[in-house]
Amino acid sequence: MSEICEVIVDGEIHEAKEGSLLIDLLIEEGVKIPYFCYHESLGADGNCRMCMVGIKGEKRPQIACDTLIKKDMEVFSNTDVIKKVRTDILELELLNHPVDCPICDQAGECSLQDFYMDYGLHESKVEIEDKVKNSKHVDLGSSVVLDQERCVLCARCTRFTTEITHTNELGIVGRGDSAKVTTMPGRELSNPYAMNVVDLCPVGALTSKDFRFSQRVWLLETHNSICHGCAKGCNIYIDHNKLKYKDDVIYRFRPRKNLEVNGHFICDEGRLSYKDVQENRQEFSTFNHIEVEQDIAISKFKNFLEQHHKNIHILIDANLYTEEIEAILEFAKSIKAEVFSPLEVYTDEGFADDMLKCSNRASNYKTIENLNISTENPNNSELIINFNHPQNFESLMQIDFCTHKSDTNSLVFAIAAFTENEGSLTNVDGITQQTQKAVKKNNPQPSIIEWLTRIDL
Amino acid sequence: MSFTFNQDDLNKIKELKTRYPSPDALCLPCLWMAQTKEGYISIDAIDAISEQIGLAPMQIYGVVTFYTMFHLQKPDRLQVDVCKTLSCKLCGSDEILKHLKSKDVYVNHVECLGSCGTAPMMQIKDKNYENLTNEKVDAILEELL
Repeated sequence: MSEICEVIVDGEIHEAKEGSLLIDLLIEEGVKIPYFCYHESLGADGNCRMCMVGIKGEKRPQIACDTLIKKDMEVFSNTDVIKKVRTDILELELLNHPVDCPICDQAGECSLQDFYMDYGLHESKVEIEDKVKNSKHVDLGSSVVLDQERCVLCARCTRFTTEITHTNELGIVGRGDSAKVTTMPGRELSNPYAMNVVDLCPVGALTSKDFRFSQRVWLLETHNSICHGCAKGCNIYIDHNKLKYKDDVIYRFRPRKNLEVNGHFICDEGRLSYKDVQENRQEFSTFNHIEVEQDIAISKFKNFLEQHHKNIHILIDANLYTEEIEAILEFAKSIKAEVFSPLEVYTDEGFADDMLKCSNRASNYKTIENLNISTENPNNSELIINFNHPQNFESLMQIDFCTHKSDTNSLVFAIAAFTENEGSLTNVDGITQQTQKAVKKNNPQPSIIEWLTRIDL
Repeated sequence: MSFTFNQDDLNKIKELKTRYPSPDALCLPCLWMAQTKEGYISIDAIDAISEQIGLAPMQIYGVVTFYTMFHLQKPDRLQVDVCKTLSCKLCGSDEILKHLKSKDVYVNHVECLGSCGTAPMMQIKDKNYENLTNEKVDAILEELL
């Protein structure tokens, strides 16, 4: 069955595996095809009927999501008949839809909106008063809000809780016009991956309580990155925006598809971790909590180094990018310092599960291991230079490089967070991935590499 | 949990399980058992059924809401099911429905009850009342209320 065969789509020849889903081929080849209920992670359900295509030899149009590829199949996706069929089905999908796009958070990334522009553009035959009214903001729990009127009943969310998380919180109740998505009375949507239903929802029915009403999606700038919540290294999009006269702010993390690492999803804790990245940041170099100029900070740094010649210990955070870790090792060699990265502090057994969450909360600990950096605690330190490691150890003198405010009375250099910098990380399975620099702050903090160049011993 | 199946029920469920390839198929028989017992289907009953057949409570809840014959609340009045499908409609079920709505009964407009030859019809406590007229309805209700 898995032989490669030729399929003709709109007169063009494509190659595909025999027995694979036709819709996968169409999506992959960029053939315009509308669909709501199909999702790569959930498979075919065949309930929305939007993905109709013509197939030579078949009497009626067929749904592409439930059609298996056969040898010498000939598919038509843009004939007049198919366009008419899609328009008619779309009209049914929109029958009870409130068309409240101006106040809908999904506007701009809504399948229904896109398909209406492609296939709809019809006048509604239903008066607004005749549309079925439903609840507009049901708080399902786990920061997910449901608008039952906007729902097209594609059942992606219910299939997610049934097939992916196996928690079965969501279901469709009622029948016909009164059918709607909901939870059991008195029960909540509650699982560590619940907010993925917001991304799965093709329309504005499920929105994130955390993100809704905060930004219009077309204003957001998107960059590829890697979640720093644990060693799994889930691929994410960072959606951020710099408003006029304001600073560049991250509004949300979204999962980015990578079948090798995280599939299509991320955990809620990782998704909401964008807040921790931005809050309570170290914004200036300080000494004993008092702000100091960059030049003074650097001269103090050199001063401290001159005062101490032995037992200089360097601590490395296992969340730093590989490039940064290598630069620190180089620097350590030049000042004859010993390097440590105690990893025990990152272990969190309670966080782990068998989906994506990993008990090691350091996103680049594999690199620490690969570079043979000591994971012991430093002992008898005279001077500790701490590159953002969360632990503090006893020493006569300490210099910190911090992304977030620290309460030590030491010399502190503010450094860029992972979102303001780029580099590579190696995840728990040994896969090395690259991030993009996303956020450009008004008052950008230098990265560790930039600091080390400026200090230039 | 306030709802429990007694030993007889459990034996019956066990017997039914042997008839079907998957215990999921017992959803409807179990719901009928629960409804016959209590007159309605409580959330506790759904949980109890879920325990017996391994289907998630939400899926059972979806089934309950799909069928007009199942009730999630205890009926506070006499419940009358009036057929809303074609034959009854053509033979005047609309008028019967209107008449019933003026009475002190809970009227449930349901899908075909399979008595098309004797339309219009209604069902009260699993008993069919057929070839209805307004006068007949009055007489039946007088007897029952």
